[in-house]
Amino acid sequence: MNKLPFILIALSILINVNLPAQTEQQSGDNPFSQSKFVPDISFILDVSYLYRDIKNDDYNLFEVPGLIHSTLEESAHGHEHAEMNARSGFNLNYGELVVASTVDPYFDLFGIFHLSSEGFGIEEGYFLTRCLPLGFQIKGGKFLSSFGRINEQHAHYWAFANMPLVYKSFFGSHGLSEIGMQINWVAPTDFYLMFGSEILQGNNEVSFGADGFQDLSGSIKVSSSDAPNLYTGFMRTSIDVDNLTVLAGISGAFGKSRLNHGIDTDAPDGHAAYEDAKILNANLTLKYIIESYRDITFQTEFLNKITKGDLYYKDSIGTTMKGDISKDQSGLYSQLVYKFSQYWRIGFRYDLLMKNEIVRNSSTLDLPDFMPQLSSMIEYNPTEFSRIRLQYNHDRTKYFEDNLKINNEILLQINLAIGAHGAHSF
Amino acid sequence: MKNIMIVLISLILTGSVFPDELNVVTTYPYIASIVEQIGKDKVNVFALANGEWDPHTIIPKPSFIAKLRKADILILNGAQLEIGWLPPLMRQANNSKIQVGTPGILDLSKYVELIEVPTAISRAQGDVHPDGNPHFHLDFKNIPKISTAIAHKLLEIDPVNKATYEQNNNAFLEKFYQKEKEWTAALEKLRGTKVIEYHKIYDYLLQRVGFQLVGTIEPVPGISPTSRHIESLEKIISSNDVKYILQDVYHPDDASKYLSSKHKIKMIIIPHDIGSVSNTNNIFEFFDEIVRRLIDD
Repeated sequence: MNKLPFILIALSILINVNLPAQTEQQSGDNPFSQSKFVPDISFILDVSYLYRDIKNDDYNLFEVPGLIHSTLEESAHGHEHAEMNARSGFNLNYGELVVASTVDPYFDLFGIFHLSSEGFGIEEGYFLTRCLPLGFQIKGGKFLSSFGRINEQHAHYWAFANMPLVYKSFFGSHGLSEIGMQINWVAPTDFYLMFGSEILQGNNEVSFGADGFQDLSGSIKVSSSDAPNLYTGFMRTSIDVDNLTVLAGISGAFGKSRLNHGIDTDAPDGHAAYEDAKILNANLTLKYIIESYRDITFQTEFLNKITKGDLYYKDSIGTTMKGDISKDQSGLYSQLVYKFSQYWRIGFRYDLLMKNEIVRNSSTLDLPDFMPQLSSMIEYNPTEFSRIRLQYNHDRTKYFEDNLKINNEILLQINLAIGAHGAHSF
Repeated sequence: MKNIMIVLISLILTGSVFPDELNVVTTYPYIASIVEQIGKDKVNVFALANGEWDPHTIIPKPSFIAKLRKADILILNGAQLEIGWLPPLMRQANNSKIQVGTPGILDLSKYVELIEVPTAISRAQGDVHPDGNPHFHLDFKNIPKISTAIAHKLLEIDPVNKATYEQNNNAFLEKFYQKEKEWTAALEKLRGTKVIEYHKIYDYLLQRVGFQLVGTIEPVPGISPTSRHIESLEKIISSNDVKYILQDVYHPDDASKYLSSKHKIKMIIIPHDIGSVSNTNNIFEFFDEIVRRLIDD
């Protein structure tokens, strides 16, 4: 008899638990409707019209000596290129599809897909933790590394139509985009202080590589990496002094470089390299807020790349030779952007590739080591979802057969976003 | 020595130098002012936005991440006013206490009745807010609802000081209702007055005062005025007895000044938040100043 109240309580709990599930049916005809769970979806389109005072066919043969091969040579080596603003005339730079939502109380998930004329690519696909204690966060999947300042920003957030030259030279036109994991920690200080580190697969088209190679005869063989191949570390800090915000950061990327430029073909100039590579970065951003819609931003980054390792090349009769190679290359960019109204911005950027030392089999190559580019832009943003930009580049970094080819470009770019697109960071 | 190290490390990791004070971060200064009144010495409050800025587009300074990192509670205006700047800051703060869906977050828009909820949504209509007009704090009748929601949130997170928060809220409400009577009485003579505003930021205030809005300087929200739109406003002005143009502090005021001087209509700068103009150091002074500017003829 004593058990009756307990049975009643248990019953009432059961009923109370069950009732809402029966009464809280979704309105509409479909009791299983999940329309409220649709993630944030947005689509961004970037198109441009480019005028260049050099013919497309000639331009494709140009290279930045010691840093960027000609487009022709690159495509011969099988690189997929969907480079922005590449040709005179109209360019469809990209269509970007972004899907983002909270997974559950533990994770957020982001998918960024690039649709270019050359295919459909997962630009990024990563999760972020939401609930780690003590100020930690883990990011995992494929993502743009937090190395440096501009690397993790998407192209539509840049103040200029093209990537800074030093980034393009060291990481290729997609930046340092990798598969792996990141852990970062925000210090509980009154000013912003963040530390982070990444373990990455290390498959960058220019500076890092996980895939091995062997020549046609099989006499040399560099095996593929069986484990993550690239490590990064970064630190950022920021303080405000009245209306001035200062953000400074340092970072480094350390990995193995396995680069195969046709050693496995019968091309006479086929070569490959297997090196230890490190890239260091220092960056500084100063933003002075004049008033709500007016601010001036100065941003600069310096990068230094040092590699050392083995070079494989072919001698005059096509036999694979092994030698040694080391590189010490540096570059920087500095930009000043003035937002002078709610809708308008102007900006200037100075790119410089300033150190270009390559030692091959103990002999230093004769390479240009002062290669600047000047850019200026004016931008009209009718709303936060549309942008029209006019940019001029004066490029003194392109060479053809050791001769400087000065290149002037004017481009008109339009960038539009629809749908639920997330806000941007500082 | 070992103990000192442990204390130091735990201090660094948790940042709780003053574990007794509740760290409250608010998006806008008006919220911080109410939190100060309710929390008094039990809370340490910080407002991210500055009252001089456009509340829709706050520059997300990295220092805000540091503030959010240490927050026990994040109080936001809601109704999508912060959508353009707050979400990345919250993600970067690595603070599990203030994620959406956790008790550490308070969305004030859930406690008031929103007006102008659009029935059809397209960005062709400019910067629309799908949940309705988010500038509800400009109706002083909404402030008691907000302060009570804040008091409930504070005592939920910090139950030890429950009595203090309830007591402070009651004292605040008593003073506020008194002021509210004064403001209502002072504004009574303005009922029915026709006005133009720059952006639809004062609509809750207009509704409270009984102003009749006949036009906005912006053709649609977030879009700056065109000459054609100004012409159409001039037509409205010529057929209506428009008394005031209400201008905020962050939009350019040339269009308002032009209409003001050409048609002899008084332009009044109305603060939209604490700190927009001087003499608005707390929520009482804020409404005092708005009323003073409106009735000062």
